Amino acid sequence: MRQTFTNEMLNVGLINERLVVLVGDISHFALQPYAKACPGRFYNVGICEPTIIGIAAGLALSGFYPVVHTITPFIVERGFEQIKLDFCYQKLGGNFISVGSAFDYSGLGVSHYCYNDIALIKSLPRTQIISPAMPNEFIRLFHDTYQNSFLTYFRLPEVKHEFPIPDENIELGKAIKLRDGNDITIVAIGSQLKSVMQCEKGLKKIGINYELLYVHTIKPFDYQSISDSAQKTGKVVVIEEHAMYGGASDEVMRAICNLKNISSTFITIPNEFVHGYGKIEDHYKYLGFTAENVIKNCKQLLKIK
Amino acid sequence: MNKILRKKIVETITNGGEGHIPSSFSIVDLIDVLYSNHLKFDAKDPEWDQRDYFVLSKGHGCMALYVVLEKFGFISQRDLDNYGKFEGILGGHPDRTKVPGVEASTGSLGHGLPIAVGIALAHKIQEKKNLIYVLVGDGECHEGTIWESALVAQNLKLNNLCCIVDSNGSAAQILPHPNIIEQWRSFGWNVLTIDGHNESGIDAAFQSFKTHRDLKPTVIIANTVKGKGVSFLESHGIWHHKIPNPSELNDIIQELDR
Repeated sequence: MRQTFTNEMLNVGLINERLVVLVGDISHFALQPYAKACPGRFYNVGICEPTIIGIAAGLALSGFYPVVHTITPFIVERGFEQIKLDFCYQKLGGNFISVGSAFDYSGLGVSHYCYNDIALIKSLPRTQIISPAMPNEFIRLFHDTYQNSFLTYFRLPEVKHEFPIPDENIELGKAIKLRDGNDITIVAIGSQLKSVMQCEKGLKKIGINYELLYVHTIKPFDYQSISDSAQKTGKVVVIEEHAMYGGASDEVMRAICNLKNISSTFITIPNEFVHGYGKIEDHYKYLGFTAENVIKNCKQLLKIK
Repeated sequence: MNKILRKKIVETITNGGEGHIPSSFSIVDLIDVLYSNHLKFDAKDPEWDQRDYFVLSKGHGCMALYVVLEKFGFISQRDLDNYGKFEGILGGHPDRTKVPGVEASTGSLGHGLPIAVGIALAHKIQEKKNLIYVLVGDGECHEGTIWESALVAQNLKLNNLCCIVDSNGSAAQILPHPNIIEQWRSFGWNVLTIDGHNESGIDAAFQSFKTHRDLKPTVIIANTVKGKGVSFLESHGIWHHKIPNPSELNDIIQELDR
């Protein structure tokens, strides 16, 4: 996904001279084609994230479309006040593109894990949140948003979901129905679509006719599609690589809170710090981001032993 | 020392029941000389693309900016009369979403300089001649973003950027700078030092910035007095965020009328 991002900066930079990319000492080698093709519009500013965001706001004030790119906790947690005051309050448009959300830097420990980026950005007015997990999702949604007056946060994951979705089905703020079913609704956020895809055979084997909704845009959220599906099935499982508070799961709850007789469960990161390292698969296993756990949650909701 | 603007500052803050009088007094001469003699602007067209920019990073001194904006026609006396009211455009910190002529909303310290660096960079990219001025406090220079921005601005050779430090001694009350002049110099900036209440000295410093720019940003260390002009306001004590009662207001006006 990072390569897709750097390629796309080149493509967009060539057609729009108001695109400026600021990085906090990451991806600078990968961005060299953009830097060479768009002189004066690439800056590896330094290791000073709050200042990078302030500078980006000054560029936005002067008519540019800034892109700020660095590691998730440094952009979102350290720079939160700058995002709030310099961009959102002042009604400035900007594009914040992070890598390293959740536990993507799986061996680097808590300083490089970020479980609550969606909660933080979502809490601010005038923000959009996109969690693309295939190249064409990023390309399509970046093109649709980079010039608008919102702060748009792109959470680039380490793991792609690998399920091809045609460009024409990718629309900002719209969930995508990937499977029709009547027994239960599974809502997969971003790269966790991969876990759900891996349990297809297992669910069919035990006779569960599930409906699958894929969500790439968390704000604005597609409440209607979730609500319609939940009303039909009466049961909802959500899986997202985010803290249990404040992520897309909360939006699913908002979508279904006025419906009757809906049961639901959420596969998220519990309210604790993970002290482990290892590979990303170790984190998946520890936290339950697996096909087996999706099946287990479906069976529990459907009371299948 | 501009006594007329000081009286307006005190009267407006007293009327609105909110504000920082001594912090505004320490910077009002700097802002007045900047707008009077140097800053390019069109009050009827605040977004004029040939304008110079002024960002007040130490936002709590905003009344000094408001009275200058009123003097030059960006806002009206009626706006000042509505200062601090819920429906008014003027509050305790400047807001670019509401106030003509305010280039950046500030309040939390350490935000204005990075934004000004971004504006300066934007104009460099476009090879435009506009100049960018930003005013920070010496207490604000405790913030890490000030020094991050100082480093970035010299690295980017932003010689269209002039930072004014209101060196009114606030930092020394808490966490003194060992040598603020040498600190800025060591960060690669042109450094000028002036009496921030002497109009001819202020004027000469801005002129020097405009005419003698090499490939460095410029900082003007303005030695000022917090509360300058009224003896009992000249302190770092209770008057920082105090609203005068009628008797105190009378005393302030009388001293300014002398």
